[in-house]
Amino acid sequence: MEEALSNSNQTAPSPSFLANLPSRGLFSSTVLSSNLDGTRDYLCVHDTLPPANQLIKTNQQNILIRSLTLKKQKGDPISKDAKGVAAADKKRAAERGLDSRAPSKRASSQSTSRQDGSNNRAPEKDFYSLTVERLRVLLKEKGLSPKGKKDELIARLKSVNDQV
Amino acid sequence: MSIWNYVVTAHKPTNVTHSCVGNFTAPQELNLILAKCTRIEIHLHTPKGLQLKLDVPIYGRIATLELFRPHGEAQDFLFIATERYKFCVLQWDAETSELITRAMGDVSDRIGCPTDNGQVGIIDPDCRLIGLHLYVGLFKVIPFDNKGQLKEAFNLRLKELQVLDIKFLYGCSKPTIVVLYQDNKDARHVKTYEVALKDKDFVEGPWTQNDLDNGADLLIPVPPPLCGVLIIGEETIVYCSANAFKAIPIRPSITKAYGRVDADGSRYLLGDHAGHLHLLVITHEKEKVTGLKIELLGETSIASTISYLDNAVVYIGSSYGDSQLIKLNLQPDANIEVLERYVNLGPIVDFCVVDLERQGQGLVVTCSGAYKEGSLRIVRNGIGINELALVELQGINGMWSLRSSTGDPFDTFLVVSFICETRILAMNLEDVMEETKIEGFCSQAQTLFCHDAVYNQLVQVTSSSVRLVSSTTREMRYEWNAPQGYSLSVATANATQVLLATRGGHLVYLEIGDGTLTEVKHALLEYEISCLDINPIGDNPNYSQLAAVGMWTDKSVRIFSLPDLNLITKENLGEIMPRSVLLCAFEGISYLLCALGDGHLLNFLLNMSTGELTDRKKVSLGTQPITLRTYSSKNTTHVFAVSNRPTVIYSSNKKLLYSNTVIYSSNKKLLHNNVNLKEVSHMCPFNSAAFPDSLAIAKEGELTIGTIDDIQKLHIRSIPLGEHAHCFCHQEKSRTFAICSSENQSNAEESEMHFIRLLDNQKFDFISNYPLDTFEHGCSILSCSFSDDTNVYYCVGTAYVLPEGNESTKGRILVFIVKDGKLQLIVVKETKGAVHSLNAFNGKLLAAIDQKIQLYKWMLRKDGTRELQFECEHHGHILALYVQTRGDFIVVGDLMKSVSLLIYKHEEGAIEERARDYNANWMTAVEILDDDIYLGAETNFNLFTVRKNSEGATYEERRRLEVVGEYHLGEFVNRFRHGSLVMRLLDSDVGQIPTVIFGTANGVIGVIASLPHEQYVFLEKLQTNLRKVIKGVGGLNHEQWRSFNNEKKTVDAKNFLDGDLIESFLDLNQIRMDEISKAMNVSVEELCKRVEELTRLH
Repeated sequence: MEEALSNSNQTAPSPSFLANLPSRGLFSSTVLSSNLDGTRDYLCVHDTLPPANQLIKTNQQNILIRSLTLKKQKGDPISKDAKGVAAADKKRAAERGLDSRAPSKRASSQSTSRQDGSNNRAPEKDFYSLTVERLRVLLKEKGLSPKGKKDELIARLKSVNDQV
Repeated sequence: MSIWNYVVTAHKPTNVTHSCVGNFTAPQELNLILAKCTRIEIHLHTPKGLQLKLDVPIYGRIATLELFRPHGEAQDFLFIATERYKFCVLQWDAETSELITRAMGDVSDRIGCPTDNGQVGIIDPDCRLIGLHLYVGLFKVIPFDNKGQLKEAFNLRLKELQVLDIKFLYGCSKPTIVVLYQDNKDARHVKTYEVALKDKDFVEGPWTQNDLDNGADLLIPVPPPLCGVLIIGEETIVYCSANAFKAIPIRPSITKAYGRVDADGSRYLLGDHAGHLHLLVITHEKEKVTGLKIELLGETSIASTISYLDNAVVYIGSSYGDSQLIKLNLQPDANIEVLERYVNLGPIVDFCVVDLERQGQGLVVTCSGAYKEGSLRIVRNGIGINELALVELQGINGMWSLRSSTGDPFDTFLVVSFICETRILAMNLEDVMEETKIEGFCSQAQTLFCHDAVYNQLVQVTSSSVRLVSSTTREMRYEWNAPQGYSLSVATANATQVLLATRGGHLVYLEIGDGTLTEVKHALLEYEISCLDINPIGDNPNYSQLAAVGMWTDKSVRIFSLPDLNLITKENLGEIMPRSVLLCAFEGISYLLCALGDGHLLNFLLNMSTGELTDRKKVSLGTQPITLRTYSSKNTTHVFAVSNRPTVIYSSNKKLLYSNTVIYSSNKKLLHNNVNLKEVSHMCPFNSAAFPDSLAIAKEGELTIGTIDDIQKLHIRSIPLGEHAHCFCHQEKSRTFAICSSENQSNAEESEMHFIRLLDNQKFDFISNYPLDTFEHGCSILSCSFSDDTNVYYCVGTAYVLPEGNESTKGRILVFIVKDGKLQLIVVKETKGAVHSLNAFNGKLLAAIDQKIQLYKWMLRKDGTRELQFECEHHGHILALYVQTRGDFIVVGDLMKSVSLLIYKHEEGAIEERARDYNANWMTAVEILDDDIYLGAETNFNLFTVRKNSEGATYEERRRLEVVGEYHLGEFVNRFRHGSLVMRLLDSDVGQIPTVIFGTANGVIGVIASLPHEQYVFLEKLQTNLRKVIKGVGGLNHEQWRSFNNEKKTVDAKNFLDGDLIESFLDLNQIRMDEISKAMNVSVEELCKRVEELTRLH
């Protein structure tokens, strides 16, 4: 009866659906005989503790508090920006005229940090993010000519850095 | 029994709950990984089939099992989460062949309500995070960093409370889950969420789908290029993605498992509740889904998990019946071919320990499986004889194997003796057994004895003569004729000696020379001789200096010296005459074994120089006369005792051990394990080139060649019932089993019918049925007799379960008698509730009926008919489900009020509560260990023991059952029964240890043994030391795993020992054993000996 039901409700089996079943050549023997006996229990005598940093714990912070603090952290820079928006707007527009890459404030802070660690090799990309004035200051510090276009300045700085 | 208990698994869980396929053991190797509740099996796919590579115990009940591959790895990792909220990530290290823990952790939360629909553990297909849904309203995320390392986990609020399934979607730029849930109006919807890892929050996902099939229960994520998800309902299947929606109706069915066939996710196998296997096809044009198609392929076991392996071979894992390996064929009407079946005892709904041969060894008969997979399983412990070849041959009277030359390592001839002829079988060049001739042998007479002799000769003894035949030319070289009027009755021989007995008590001793037989000595004994043996066990392997002789009339066994036949020792055996004697040596100790006509075996220590017999011991091996034969296996001698219960006698640690034998056929094509109960009449070793180390066995018209296993283990024979059995019991007197079962109803509209069925206890076929009323369910069954009545009855307790009512308010007690193989209803008693349990109690019937325990008297009416008359009752239970009695004591296991102890007072005719355990345990089984100690199992998979405190100082104390033992078994126990799986011998230490057997929902058969305190303390120390050496896979802790745990409390295990851990001591390497031996300050030998002794409990 069940068969009849299934046949009436559904299409009669067409073998094509079972064609081309994936195969990698396993289970190809005509007579399968699985070997499931004779294995002893696996005994672990080595240290089974995971590496120290992979002993996973759950963050115990309350979900609500966590989401609030996360929002706050995220929100902080935005609110600061919001305060200084009006004042900085013109200034920034001017800076963008000089260098479209980054605001001057951050650029200067970056360069100072780089001065602190003078051994640090600044990648080429970073020079581009600096203003021409900054590049000239850097060149002067290294006793090089501060003249020329931005690309020339960067090339000069790079060649010195490479020597170091 | 005592409060110091030892718990050990005799049969491992076989319920397959999860399976997955991947490259776990090596990048090129394809593995099938199975989870069987507390174990993981790692199989290798080979051209010949599956090969079990690793069988791993896990210290936890596996809740989820997933294979995944982090970026940059060549091999899959295994993710396991346990029901007690631990998880681990395992990797296979091929170099050391070890499972390495990559990560692990505890993912429990202090506050949280466990999910109703089981735990969910899923891994993002792009390996960005692991998602866990363990508590209502919470979704736990364990993120991966870009090196594939796991980072700190965090919880997210999931607004959907009644979650049915959660899966990760494929092909999403951000990890996206799809949630199938039910709202508070019971409507089912699907919603998607993106997991924003940085913000640690959910973001509404790309799509939702409301108001699905009311039975939608399962989500199948579809891999790229199609992506999206399949929602499997009871009446429809829906494909859903951001830009497509397709639905098809299906025949009503509840899909329990699915397996993906193609890597692109266009075909799936679906297994439903009735065991139908469907193929679901997503038709598509390029990457656009155009529709769904479903086809019925056929029927399999009811699947709990489906894994497509390779080359059209599919693994069907089942919780309700045997798991299967099937092949999908193209032929119409036969799409499914079952290749192999893997035995699954689970769920063990009920079981009996039956001692059909009264040896103290239990034959466990389980009531296994559910729905259409219901079956009886006969579980027997013993040494297996694997049947390799079988010939039909009637009337075999004796068998011996002979070599074709003295130096030949293999036997060539098999001499088979009949009443008036002797035939010779031999292997021909094609390794086929065929009849041959040894011209020198007398073939027209019964052979009494045959043996290989020195100088390439064979000895044949018939009733009239002894012939010496050349094994090379096969011609007779010498014949010694018995004197006129004295026919030979018993004979024995070895390579150089022959000992004969004639009617009238004459004993003749011959020696074998090159072509001659010399009569050396003759003696006349006062009585007839019943059996002889001159098996050489001294220094010379060809010559014995002692002869053992058994006598008919005075029932004695005597030792004579050879060659002069002087009587050295005489030992009287008592009431029964000896039928077979054997001189043998085990582990350098000489014994005389003497088998009696009533199936008993006596063994003596034999002093080889003085012939003195000491240390007499007696065991029962059967009920028929025994014949003893030796055979060797792996260069050690064993003795085969041929009788109605063939037994192997061997020695370990200088102790004689006895093991039943079980003849089975490993021919997988037969798809059954034939645990044969036929009587063996003759046996001889037959070590031929084609069948090395084999035995020839004659039984009831058959000659079998088979190999014998080295170790004893459980052998299982299945008897499919085709319907769900709920409870059953055995009745020795009528040699029947009775079961309460329900007919498998494929159609939901008809109410299912319940029956009482009677089965023959040998053939296991239905011999009588009694249909119960509509809506009436069989709840309990008991075989018992009543006072003032010699008949034995079957009592059945029932309940009427009406479709609309919640609780049954009406039930019946039916009393049947078996007459002429038919169930005959004698008495009906209506009750006001479901009869959950029936017990024989002081010649009366004790019934547990919902909240009450009631006692009924068996009364004779004036007209000669019988009735059950209510005597007294006890109230005060929520539901009294499990009852055990001992004397006047009644122990009740309540639905949720743990264990209470009642007492029946004869004078007052009343049942009173004596004491109770005040914990709120939800019980699943109870058993009385001894007068004061009771054992319970509860729904959180724990065991506990409570003790009656009758000496308590205060009334309060005496009223309380004190909890004395607690243990987390990790298994749902359905039944305890007193009994033993092995032969109990009163002379061994283990024989004194009382045991209880339990059966669980996962198919585990386990043994709980009560140990003496000294042994318990010793083993507890060993367990503590083993914990330090044997580590839990995945860093899981043994102590935590075995700690008693329920919603209320978690406390360390006490007064229970984990036998599985202790017995794994024997599998340790020498270095580790030494380590433990040093820590324990006990020698390794002593430790091995004591642990080995315990392994003999199961």
